[in-house]
Amino acid sequence: MSDFFRAFINLISIIAIPLMIAVFLSWGFAKKVKVYEVFVEGAKDGFNTAIRIIPYLVAMLFAIGIFRASGAMDVLASIIAPVTNLIGMPAETLPMALMRPLSGSGSLGIMTELMKTHGTDSFIGVLVSTMYGSTETTFYVLAVYFGSVNIKKTRHAVPAGLIGDFAGILAAVLICRILFGV
Amino acid sequence: MLNYIWLFLIITALVVGIGNDINDEVKNTYRNNVVLDVIFLPSNPLVDSNTRLEGHIYLTAKQFNDFYGVITQHEDVKQDVIISFSNDGKGSFYLACNESTPKLWKEMSKSALGNDRLTGRVERIEFSNERSEAKASIIFEPIRFVKIKAITQAAIDYARIAVEIAIGLIGIMALWLGLIKIAQEAGLVKVLTRALTPLTKRLFPDVPSDHPAMGAIIMNTAANMLGLSNAATPIGLKAMEELNKLNPKVGTATNAMVTFLAINTGGLILIPATAIAVRAAAGSANPGIIIGTSIFGAACATVAGVVASKLLQRLPRYKKELLDDKKDIKGAEE
Repeated sequence: MSDFFRAFINLISIIAIPLMIAVFLSWGFAKKVKVYEVFVEGAKDGFNTAIRIIPYLVAMLFAIGIFRASGAMDVLASIIAPVTNLIGMPAETLPMALMRPLSGSGSLGIMTELMKTHGTDSFIGVLVSTMYGSTETTFYVLAVYFGSVNIKKTRHAVPAGLIGDFAGILAAVLICRILFGV
Repeated sequence: MLNYIWLFLIITALVVGIGNDINDEVKNTYRNNVVLDVIFLPSNPLVDSNTRLEGHIYLTAKQFNDFYGVITQHEDVKQDVIISFSNDGKGSFYLACNESTPKLWKEMSKSALGNDRLTGRVERIEFSNERSEAKASIIFEPIRFVKIKAITQAAIDYARIAVEIAIGLIGIMALWLGLIKIAQEAGLVKVLTRALTPLTKRLFPDVPSDHPAMGAIIMNTAANMLGLSNAATPIGLKAMEELNKLNPKVGTATNAMVTFLAINTGGLILIPATAIAVRAAAGSANPGIIIGTSIFGAACATVAGVVASKLLQRLPRYKKELLDDKKDIKGAEE
């Protein structure tokens, strides 16, 4: 069942983009849209949008970069460790939970490292890979998406995103304990 | 809130970085100016007149751990080195780091002047009778301010990476914006959104159900779920642009934008391809075992994020920010 689901989704992922291009263009052609002219007209904005993101992305990535380089993650993890022990989350996986909203490459590194040390199919191995799949790099998404429309006042976006991340990590611990628990 | 988190990241990084460096200095973590006794095994037969010796140094894992006061080294250390002697009989060595280099030495090499190599003095070298090995006493060049150097390097590197990411977006941005424009002109987006109107009306009450933003939001979510990040980001940015057209206050996030981002950062994906690939590469017997657990985790993250965005938008402090304020609008336009 799981294999069938995987094969099915993989197939959709592979044909999705060619299919979208084909449908968009043929639909447009049928509706008498001047497809080439309209495409170029729309594509013009690509440059400006990408360039607009730069200051926001520099601000965000630079802060996250020096945070990672300083070794502050370990300090933070050791402070929070007593709390996470209460919910049955292994202390080793805490840096992963903290890194996930900040940095995609950082959390990828932690995941690989933990699986090397503890084994891919150990409880910790399954838990960190579930955590990785359970949420997105919140701060990167915020910087890129808000940056593209020049929004500086993000209102409740950060708390809402972090509540989502927290719930995702909590759910990952819960489901892994139920299914693969020790 | 972003202000505080941003400041927190930077200040914490600097304070912890300096703290770690002071700690290293006090404990002499890198054993600056301390002699390390190793075995030197030359790779070529020795000739007396040699001023340059190639070979490797050897010490057991226990010797390494005892010397540095760590427990991290599990394998015996065997590293290629080149030793050269000057005319006055003093020696220096050069060690190029590779895969098998102990983690601590790799860390030291990043902070040393040369990239990925370590140098130092050879205090004494004493060959055995057969001249096949020697006892050598070496001192690494002093390593200081590791974290501060790393922070400086990271600041420069990440500023560059940010620009590279943005530049890399230009092409796919243009491609998708062009395609979406065709879909819009052809009225395809309206067909796409109609079926999901009951759901989208609840999630985004401020956005008219036939607005172009709705089509982009739906396509972005679908692309994210399929793991098509190359398509998802450009379409998502298009959605933000359309949502911004409905924004009464320039430079401030609307409720619809925050809800949209909560769905996005929830990261609901049907096949967590990256995690599966890493698991497979690391030799997992069942790399796909995390599909179900990841979907459950991401679904919880998405629902919690959306509910939080809906509840938080009612708080007076966030409501106030969205209210029209002539002075503020003027300020944003300037």
